[in-house]
Amino acid sequence: MNAVRIIWRVTQLNFRAQLEYRTEFLMMIAIGAVWQVSVIVFATVLLTRFAGMGGWDSSDVLLIPATRMLAHGLFVLFLGRVHGLGRHIQEGKIDAYLLRPLPVHRQVQLEFFPTNAIGDLTVAAGLMAGALGRSHLDWTAGRITYLVAAVLGGMLLETALFTVVASASLRFPAADYWGRWLEELLGTFGSYPLNVLPRAVGGFLTFGLPLAFVAYFPAAVLTGHGHSTGVPYWLAAASPLLGLLGYLAARWLWRWALGHYTGVNG
Amino acid sequence: MAGNIEVRGLSRTFHTTVRRPGLAGALRSLVNPERVEKQAVSDISFDVAPGELLALLGPNGAGKSTTIKMLTGILTPTSGEARVAGVVPYRERERNARNIGAVFGQRTQLWWDLPVRESFAILRDIYEVPKAEHAARLREFDELLELSAFWDTRVRHLSLGQRVRCDLAAALLHDPPVVFLDEPTIGMDVVVKEQVREFLRYQVAERGRTVLLTTHDMTEVERLAERVVLVNHGRLVLDGTLDEVRRDFGSTWQVRATLADPHTPVGALPGIALVSHDGPQVVFGPDGPAAPTVHQALKLVIERYEVTGVAVDEADLEDVMRAAYAEARARAEAA
Amino acid sequence: MTTLTHAWRAARVTPLGELYTPPRVTAALLRLTVQVVLVASLWHGLYAQTGTTAGLSRDQAVTFAVLAVLASRLRELDQYAARDTVVQHMYYGTIVYWYLRPLSPQRYYALRALGEQLYGFAWAATGYAICLAAGVVVPPESAAVAAVFALSLLLGQWVLHYVMLLIDQLCFWTLRNTAALLILIFAQNLMSGVYAPLWFFPHWFLVLSSFLPFQATLNVPLSLYVGRIPLSDAGFQLGVQAAWLVALRFLTRFLWRRAARRVVSQGG
Repeated sequence: MNAVRIIWRVTQLNFRAQLEYRTEFLMMIAIGAVWQVSVIVFATVLLTRFAGMGGWDSSDVLLIPATRMLAHGLFVLFLGRVHGLGRHIQEGKIDAYLLRPLPVHRQVQLEFFPTNAIGDLTVAAGLMAGALGRSHLDWTAGRITYLVAAVLGGMLLETALFTVVASASLRFPAADYWGRWLEELLGTFGSYPLNVLPRAVGGFLTFGLPLAFVAYFPAAVLTGHGHSTGVPYWLAAASPLLGLLGYLAARWLWRWALGHYTGVNG
Repeated sequence: MAGNIEVRGLSRTFHTTVRRPGLAGALRSLVNPERVEKQAVSDISFDVAPGELLALLGPNGAGKSTTIKMLTGILTPTSGEARVAGVVPYRERERNARNIGAVFGQRTQLWWDLPVRESFAILRDIYEVPKAEHAARLREFDELLELSAFWDTRVRHLSLGQRVRCDLAAALLHDPPVVFLDEPTIGMDVVVKEQVREFLRYQVAERGRTVLLTTHDMTEVERLAERVVLVNHGRLVLDGTLDEVRRDFGSTWQVRATLADPHTPVGALPGIALVSHDGPQVVFGPDGPAAPTVHQALKLVIERYEVTGVAVDEADLEDVMRAAYAEARARAEAA
Repeated sequence: MTTLTHAWRAARVTPLGELYTPPRVTAALLRLTVQVVLVASLWHGLYAQTGTTAGLSRDQAVTFAVLAVLASRLRELDQYAARDTVVQHMYYGTIVYWYLRPLSPQRYYALRALGEQLYGFAWAATGYAICLAAGVVVPPESAAVAAVFALSLLLGQWVLHYVMLLIDQLCFWTLRNTAALLILIFAQNLMSGVYAPLWFFPHWFLVLSSFLPFQATLNVPLSLYVGRIPLSDAGFQLGVQAAWLVALRFLTRFLWRRAARRVVSQGG
C-alpha cells in the first residue's frame, strides 16, 4: 500500500516537474500533434496502398498496427523508462538509486513523467477504434478478452526487450545504440503481416527478435490467419503468455545484472 | 602581453521566473509566469596586476562565478567595464579567448570519447600553437602534473583528479597571460591538490601568468594567494592582502613568550595588550582596532624583551573568513 | 595551412571517437547489413501482389528504400555516447568552452558535421557498391541521371545539415528536449522518405510536405535516382533544394547569433 502511495506521489511530482519547463511542455504538445498525424498516415497509407498484403483483408491488417501502437502507448506510459536508460546509467543515476530503500526498477520507472505517452495513447486508441470499426469479425467476449490480453502481452514483451538492453547498458555504455535500433525495428516492422517476408527473415523477426509476438501473431489468431503464420498455431496463440514470461525473465536478468553492477567512470 | 585585469563598477542582473507551489500553482505559472530580478553582481571594482594570483572568495551564490564569466566574455555585464589584458572580454570574445585560459570546476572541456592527447591536439590547432612549442609545453606540464601516465586514456575513463589535471593543462596549452580558475581543486584528494597548487605557483612565479582563482579551500588560499577579494551578495566586501584580512577579521592572535629573566617588568605595548603573566610565561593579544598584525606584534615583542622562546597562536584562515562572512552578512542585513 | 589542419582536427572528432571504439563500428556494420536485408525483403514482399503503385515499380521502390537506409547512415554517428551533442553541453555546462575559444561555435559545429558526413559517406558509398554488385539496387538510368542525383544528394545533405543544426539550436532555448528531439527526428525521417517513399502518401500529405524542407533532404534526390522525378523536372527540384538551403542558412545563422546572445545573457 505504501508502495502505491509513493508511486502516486512521485508521479504527481514528476507531472509538475514537466510543467516547470514551460516552453518544453507546450512544445511537446505541439510536436506531439504533428507526430500523431504522421503515425496515422504512415500506418494507414501503406496498408491501403498494398491491399491484400500477405493474403490479409486490409481491415484485418489494420488490427496489427492498432495492437502494436496501443501496447506501445501503454509501455511508454507505465514502463517506458527502461528505454534509453543507458544515458541515465552513464550519468551515475543507478548509484543514487541503490542508496534508497526502494527497488531500483521502480525508481527507474518513476524517473520522469512521460508527457509524450499522452500523445501516443491518443493515436493508438484512435487507431484501435478505427480498426475495430472496420472489422468484419464478430467481437465476442472471448475475442475481446484475447485482444486485451494481447495488448498487455505486447506491452510486457516490449518492456522485456528494452529491459534486456537496459541490463546490458549496466555494463556496456554502447548498448544504448542497440536500444535505438530496437525501437526503429519495432516501429518499422511491427505493423505488417510478417508472412510477406521471406521465411528466413520472418524467422529472424520471430525467434531472433521476437517482434512477431507483439502484434502480428495475436492479430493472426484473432482474424483466422493463425494457421498460416509459419509457426505452430499454439505458439502464435500463446503470444500474450509469452509476453508475460518474457517480462519475468527480463526482470530476472535485470536483477542479475544489477547484482553485477560495478559502477560507471571508475 | 601584460596580463592585467581591470574591473570597474561591474554589475549583472538576472531575470528569473518564480514558480508558485502546488499543482495549481504550476499550472498558473505555465500560463502567467511571474518574473523577478536578481542582482548577482553589483558595482564590483578591483585590479589584478600582471603576474599576480588573486583569490576571489565568498560564500556560495556570492557572485564569484558570475564575475568570472563576465571576465571570460561568456556573460555581458548589465553595467560597468572590464578589461582583461587590454581587451574588453564581452565585446571581443574571440580576441579575449586567445589571451585567457579557463577551468570551470568539474566541467571538462576535453572530448569525452577521445584520448586526452587528441584533445590537446585539437586545441593546439584551434589556438594555432606551433608544433614544437606545443610539444615543449606538454613536456613541461607533464613534469609538473605527471600527465603522461594517462594521457593516452580516453577521458571517460579518467579519475576526477586526472581529468582536472588534464583540463588545467588544456587551458594553458596556448600560453595565455591570464588564467581563470573556478574552484579547480573541488573534490580532489590532498596529494593531487598539492600537485595542482605547485603547478599554479610555478605558472605564476616562473611564467608570470596572472591568475584569478575562486575556491572554498582556505588552505589553498593561504598557500597560493597574497591578495584576496571577498564578495558577498554580489558586493565587494573587502580587497586586501591576507595579512590585512587577518588584521580586520582575525583579531584573535596570541603571542606567547618565555622571558629570559622572569623578573623583567612587563606591560602593554602600542596596540598590544598583556593577556596573562605567570612567572617567565607571558601572553600578548591584540588591543583595539589599531592592533598590529601577528607578525608585527611578534617583532615588537622580540625587540622589546629578551626572550628564550616564542610561539604564535593564530586563528586559521577559515575562522577569519567565517568572521568576515558573518560581518558581511550583518552589514547586508543592516543595509 | 594552419586553418586547414585545425579544420581537419575538428572534422575528425566524432569519426575518431568511433574508431577508438571497435564495438561501435561492428554494431554499425551489423545494423546496416540487417537493415538493408530487412528493408529489401519487406518491399519485395509488399509488392508481391501489386504491380506498379504510386508510380513506382517494385525495383524502383526497393532501390529507393535501400538507398534511404544507406543515406541515413551518412549522419548517424554517435555524438551522444561522445557527450558531444549540444543538449549535453548545455546540460553539463560545458557549452561555455565553445564560447571560450578563438574558433566560433558555428564554425566548430560545421567542421565537425563535415567530418561526420565524409565518414558516413565512405560507409554509404561502400554499402552502395556492394548492393549494386549484389543486384539489390538498380543502377541509375543514365549518366545524366547519376550526375543530377549526385548534385541533388549533395544539396539534400546540406539541407539536412541545417535541419539537424536547427534541432540542435533548439537546445539553447529548451534544455530538456530529448523527447521532443526524438519526435522531431522521427518527423524528419518520415517526411524525408526514410521510412517509405513520400509517393505512397495521400495527396494532402505531399502538399504539406512541399511546404517543409524535409522532402528536399532525401525524397528528391532518391526520386531523381529511381526516375520517379523525370530529368525534365530536375531543374525545378534542384531550385527548390537550393532555395531551402539559402533560407535555412540565413535562419540558422540568425539563430546562432541569438544563441550566442542567450549564452552571453545567461552565462551558459
